[in-house]
Amino acid sequence: MGSERELVERAQAGDTGAFDVLVSFYAKRVLSIAWGIVRSASDAEELAQEAFVKAYQSIGRFRLDEPFGPWIFRITTNLALDVLKHRKRVKHEEITEREPAPRRDRADLPAITNEIARRIGGAIDELPEMQRVVAQLHLIEEFEHREIAAMTGLSEGTVRSHLSLARGKLREKLADLYGDGDD
Amino acid sequence: MTDEEFFSRVRNDAAPLRYEPDPFALARIRAGVRERILRPTVPQLLARWFRPITATLAIIALAAGIGVATIDNNDNGSMGDASVEIVMAGDSYSVGQ
Repeated sequence: MGSERELVERAQAGDTGAFDVLVSFYAKRVLSIAWGIVRSASDAEELAQEAFVKAYQSIGRFRLDEPFGPWIFRITTNLALDVLKHRKRVKHEEITEREPAPRRDRADLPAITNEIARRIGGAIDELPEMQRVVAQLHLIEEFEHREIAAMTGLSEGTVRSHLSLARGKLREKLADLYGDGDD
Repeated sequence: MTDEEFFSRVRNDAAPLRYEPDPFALARIRAGVRERILRPTVPQLLARWFRPITATLAIIALAAGIGVATIDNNDNGSMGDASVEIVMAGDSYSVGQ
């Protein structure tokens, strides 16, 4: 996108207004990716902000022949995965007499009117962490394997393997909706 | 159903799961980013503090330099002009040169 390249060029020259336009283009998607991984509205918002600030601080190193989207999505995903790691460490220290499953506060989930979607969301939530992240990015955010690999720093093979494992579990959990999954 | 078909159906059915932020979330993000990228960095902040201090010190040093030079000049001048001729027993002596 020509105008996007122009905006990035202007941002590289220190034009904060041009960067603001980029933020407004990508904020919703960035927020959605962040929320899909950290499952908390306030964390996702903070994270989205942090991702854009980080992008601005290193925009001088951004290559103009690349699209801005995948770059900001990668920064967002990395930050979100750091949040998950941090939570895991804290959880280890705190310890959990509560629920064993790492479910986030359900109040943060958007109002899901569709029962099938609710079932799918629940099944994705119950997947092991990286399978959940990869499944979320593939099924909800509709990224392809290659894009997910670039965003998460995993190899494409690992992404496929996470997805394959996730698919097996989802087929099992959602068997009543999509058949018994024996093919 | 093949794996691909399964995922494709799940994708369709999962569309409502896409996050819909509250209407002000995006505005908050933009405002937060704007505020943070316009906020001066530590070196900028230090430069902002030190620039006037440096300027003041430079002015003081300059004034002091000029002052010392003027006093020096005056001292030299008065010494030069203040040679005194003393005549004693028919001989004359000059003091202060």
